[in-house]
Amino acid sequence: MAKTPEEIADAMHKMVKDAFGVKKYKPMDLNKAMRELFGDEVDKKTCKEAIKLLVNSGRCVYTYFGGSFLEIPHREGAAND
Amino acid sequence: MAEAMQERRTDYGPPHYEQFLPPVVKENYGKWKYHEIVKPGVMVHVSESGAELYTVRAASGRLISIDKIRMYCDLADKYCDGYVRFTSRHNIEFLTPKKENVDPLIKDLKDMGHPVGGIGNAISAIVHTQGWVHCHSAATDASGVVKAVMDDLIEYFEERKLPGKLRIALACCLNMCGAVHCSDIAILGIHRRPPRIDHANLKKVCEIPNLSASCPTAAIRPAEVEGHPSVEVLEEQCMFCANCYTVCPAMPLADPLNDGVSIWVGGKVSNARHEPMFSKLAIPFLPNNPPRWPEVTEAVRNLVELWAKNAKKYERMGEWIERIGWPKFFKMSGIEFEKVHIDDFKHAGLTFKRSTHLTF
Amino acid sequence: MADKLPNTPKLDELEKGKWPSFVKEIKMAAKKSPMCADLLGQLEKSYTEKVGYWKHGGIVGVMGYGGGVIGRYSALPKEFPNVSHFHTMRVNQPAGWYYNTEALRKICDIWEKHGSGITNLHGSTGDLVLLGTRTEELEPIFDELQKINFDIGGSGSDVRTPSCCCGQSRCEWACYDTMAACHDFTMEYQDELHRPAFPYKFKFKFSGCPNDCVASIARSDMSLIGTWRDSIQQDDAEVKAYVDGGLDIEEDVISRCPGKCMAWDGKKLEIDNSFCRRCMHCINVMPKALRPGKDRGATILLGSKAPIVEGALLSSVLIPFIKMEAPYQELKDIIERIWDVWSEEGKNRERVGEFIQRVGMGNFLEAIEVEPVAEMVAHPRENPYIFYEEFFEEDDDEEGDKG
Repeated sequence: MAKTPEEIADAMHKMVKDAFGVKKYKPMDLNKAMRELFGDEVDKKTCKEAIKLLVNSGRCVYTYFGGSFLEIPHREGAAND
Repeated sequence: MAEAMQERRTDYGPPHYEQFLPPVVKENYGKWKYHEIVKPGVMVHVSESGAELYTVRAASGRLISIDKIRMYCDLADKYCDGYVRFTSRHNIEFLTPKKENVDPLIKDLKDMGHPVGGIGNAISAIVHTQGWVHCHSAATDASGVVKAVMDDLIEYFEERKLPGKLRIALACCLNMCGAVHCSDIAILGIHRRPPRIDHANLKKVCEIPNLSASCPTAAIRPAEVEGHPSVEVLEEQCMFCANCYTVCPAMPLADPLNDGVSIWVGGKVSNARHEPMFSKLAIPFLPNNPPRWPEVTEAVRNLVELWAKNAKKYERMGEWIERIGWPKFFKMSGIEFEKVHIDDFKHAGLTFKRSTHLTF
Repeated sequence: MADKLPNTPKLDELEKGKWPSFVKEIKMAAKKSPMCADLLGQLEKSYTEKVGYWKHGGIVGVMGYGGGVIGRYSALPKEFPNVSHFHTMRVNQPAGWYYNTEALRKICDIWEKHGSGITNLHGSTGDLVLLGTRTEELEPIFDELQKINFDIGGSGSDVRTPSCCCGQSRCEWACYDTMAACHDFTMEYQDELHRPAFPYKFKFKFSGCPNDCVASIARSDMSLIGTWRDSIQQDDAEVKAYVDGGLDIEEDVISRCPGKCMAWDGKKLEIDNSFCRRCMHCINVMPKALRPGKDRGATILLGSKAPIVEGALLSSVLIPFIKMEAPYQELKDIIERIWDVWSEEGKNRERVGEFIQRVGMGNFLEAIEVEPVAEMVAHPRENPYIFYEEFFEEDDDEEGDKG
């Protein structure tokens, strides 16, 4: 059965959270991982919607270090008060 | 947060340009027939309908304050029915169908400290980047070098006495936010010292595999240093591109002793006559010497005047050099040809001289 | 407010001279903003020590968007506390960089209230750049920008803010409506512009003619450059008027023609349009006499970029000629296929031009379903190391069962 964007968002969020501090994922990395994990039950469009849910809710944020990544919100090293 | 997002408008894009077009532009959109350069910095476009549109182009420093923008607005309200536009080279343009507004507008602009010019066979404003005003990876300042160079070359902005167009651009590092690589004269900030690695903090702020992969010459390898998981740099393979620093802030390259400016010549983007060309290295290194970078301003002036004296009409810098050959260019400019002038990155062989077409 | 400016003898030197002074601009803004006073202080220190003092912030932004805000922090926050945060916001400019004073004044008011009061008009990609604010001001600024219908632009691995020349609004050479196309594409790709999903950035630049005033062939992943297929429109009386007026037509026009397709017999200019390379030179020199033809459209080129990472590239021809008419569907279908292939197979920080170099143009064209044509190359291959993908077996039938 086709996965909902909410279910995919949860799976993506877990992936990002588990890798926090070890590996940063680009949106396309997550998109590919979901298609690998759920096969026919998910398509690119649902993955895109899932990412939108994650960033609109603030569960994930985009970051940029020479390329764009999705991460758990945190205080970055360079930040000043 | 989630609730706030529901009321929020997103992805509505920029306002439609039509509301910002002066009436004369709207009425004659797509109907322009020809134009003439009336005098330095002033063009008139004539429509099929006979309507005329005068454009006055003035220099702007790119980095401008809100109070200056408000002064521009006052002028636009006074002379141009409240409309104004900007160009791809950071100039400001005032458009009006009223010929009688042109001279008073020019006077007001000059009184404000904004010279009028940059149209036709002239130097237009220097496309440039942020430099020390705002950038973390700058190898030189941008606004300061531009100010010094243009103060020196102002006559070529305000008058039309060059053989052709001359486009100068400045980028404060190899990232080239100003994409200077196809300019008649490119001023490019360069680093010359390999990164000083902050081993203690590297792992906290960067991902090591990403960092290794960022290096175009594969000079960065994972290594444990002083008990920290970190990287080592094969310094003889470092070409100071700062890719690693873009990916990882624990790899700073900036260094007052070794940072400076290089000068590249002969690029163009227009298809007129010769196809577009990259700029090529002329002067490998000049020091950062603020506030007026005298070595840079002198080098640029010399190049401009050498070209102006020797090029045929309409010949851009690169077209002129291609006609006379690079050995002649080095001879005439007095710039010493060195090992670093010979390319040694990918496809370098294509830049070697592969014929006996030489001048003596 | 900042009533006392720091001592800046080096910067003060740059208040002199005829070119507009950015130091004067920062000082003007410093009358209202303590941020700009500290900016002057930190910049003077850079001028003394010959090094910059900014740190990159990779995480700040507005909620829901992944582009449009560039994080900056001072490396010397104790010495210059008012530029401790100094983030940039890129505001998507209206196509062609036209404004009315009402809109500009509103932007100034927002920036006076929430930021440093200094700007770039414009940044290199084309955005109106608001330079220097604090993290907690980002949302209020976006909120106010929404009220006046200005959205923010791109940054990171996304569609960067498209830009265009003034096109048909003022220029007789524009071979298509660049401003309409730029606005249309910007609106079509809002999601791709605000939510980075690519291996790296992707830029569009729209130039109305081969003079390429927005440098699209050097500075955009997709360069859309106006051109024409039929003959140059020619007004013989006006040609003669230029010659009578002193134009050396042999030297300044005919000898500069890259197609060598022109001749002048003292009375009439003959152009063999089938060999015209659409370079614009003769038209540039005689705008009253010569104009681009009437069958107009654009050449689409792909792949230019600055040196980072694998070296600089110019765009190369993808579609020799296409009509540029809304809704531009044929072109948008190709763009979707390009993004699909590049997003799936591209490496982190690999621009589309570098991707094509790595996988080969032939393979790339196959993947995006575009037929190879001779206009795509400067010349055919010189090396005989050809990757033929199939060969005949002895027992194949005559048609060749290539499986």
